[in-house]
Amino acid sequence: MKHTYSKTVVLSLAAFFFFLSTGGEVSPADASAPVAIVKKVSGSATVVRQGQTIPATKGLEIWENDTLRTGRNGSIGIVFNDDTFLSMGPGSILIIDEFVFAPRQGKFSIVIRMLKGTAAYLSGLISKLSPDSAHFKTPTASIGIRGTRFAAKVEEEQKRGASQSGDLGR
Amino acid sequence: MKKWSNFFVGWIFFCLLTGCATHRAKRDLIVLLPDPDGKVGTITVTTNGGSQIVDKPGYATEIEDLNKAPVAPKPVNEKEINEVFGPALSAQPDLSNRFLLFILYFEHNTTKLTHESKDLVLEVLRNIKSRKSSEVYVVGHTDLVGTEAYNIELSSKRASYVRDLLLSKGIKPGALFVSYYGKSRPLVPTKNEVPEPRNRRVEVIVR
Repeated sequence: MKHTYSKTVVLSLAAFFFFLSTGGEVSPADASAPVAIVKKVSGSATVVRQGQTIPATKGLEIWENDTLRTGRNGSIGIVFNDDTFLSMGPGSILIIDEFVFAPRQGKFSIVIRMLKGTAAYLSGLISKLSPDSAHFKTPTASIGIRGTRFAAKVEEEQKRGASQSGDLGR
Repeated sequence: MKKWSNFFVGWIFFCLLTGCATHRAKRDLIVLLPDPDGKVGTITVTTNGGSQIVDKPGYATEIEDLNKAPVAPKPVNEKEINEVFGPALSAQPDLSNRFLLFILYFEHNTTKLTHESKDLVLEVLRNIKSRKSSEVYVVGHTDLVGTEAYNIELSSKRASYVRDLLLSKGIKPGALFVSYYGKSRPLVPTKNEVPEPRNRRVEVIVR
């Protein structure tokens, strides 16, 4: 029952964000270029872009506003244009909210939003050249990043009963 | 199975401590790790309830609730890091083509490189040439001695000095991106007016 509940939460969350991504909002940033490339994929992993679900494969280009998802046994690793590394473990959902790397114009920004699962992040040049412009968000917190590497685990909503069964619904 | 019992124990312990209200509890965990070259940065984790800085490798902060401040950082043992983050860490892309970061140090109040840094310049050049790099960032800084205006000027001069040095050795102007930040971004945080040789620097990033 616990398992079913968390699946429902996940599906509603996914549907909600899926809807957001097809909401017709066009990013004002240079939306005409990819921002990252998939370097490693294992198991089930997909990219959701403007209503379409694309299987993640090595070499696939990632764009701003893409949602990255991994299945129960999936993992994925991507590299952004500024050498930021981002990888996800199984059962994870993450959105590329913003990515701007334009050194000639002095414009830098990276904002990643993690909904659930596990992820590892290694700062690239945006964090080195403009430390206040790199942010990683979870449902509960915003993480400001100063040139570094960290890992984040985001749990789904749990009822207290979860502890007794030892099932964290991952 | 061992993995689950670790969490089982942790979760129960957690519930007992807080007297576990019947509201739903989320627990997010954020662990700071060292960079591949061993350096450690800083993360600031902010919820509606407050902020927490984590600046020691292997230390983590937990978030129980979005309206509560993150928990004070505690060390996480390597085994747990591997259990929780193993798949995410092993999906990390290959490091070999990443940018290189060099730090050139200066004598106090000058645009004079330290002795060791003069040697490092040769290595910077060697790497730019072997990578045929067309993207080299030169970023000037100072320590916190002196006014902001003074140090903006000094950091600019330091960055320009390094730029000119690289140009004189044949690096193309189009490959160089020069910036400077005065005293606003010390590598080693200090109080104002505290001299710190490690902050008197130009960072050169070679892609």
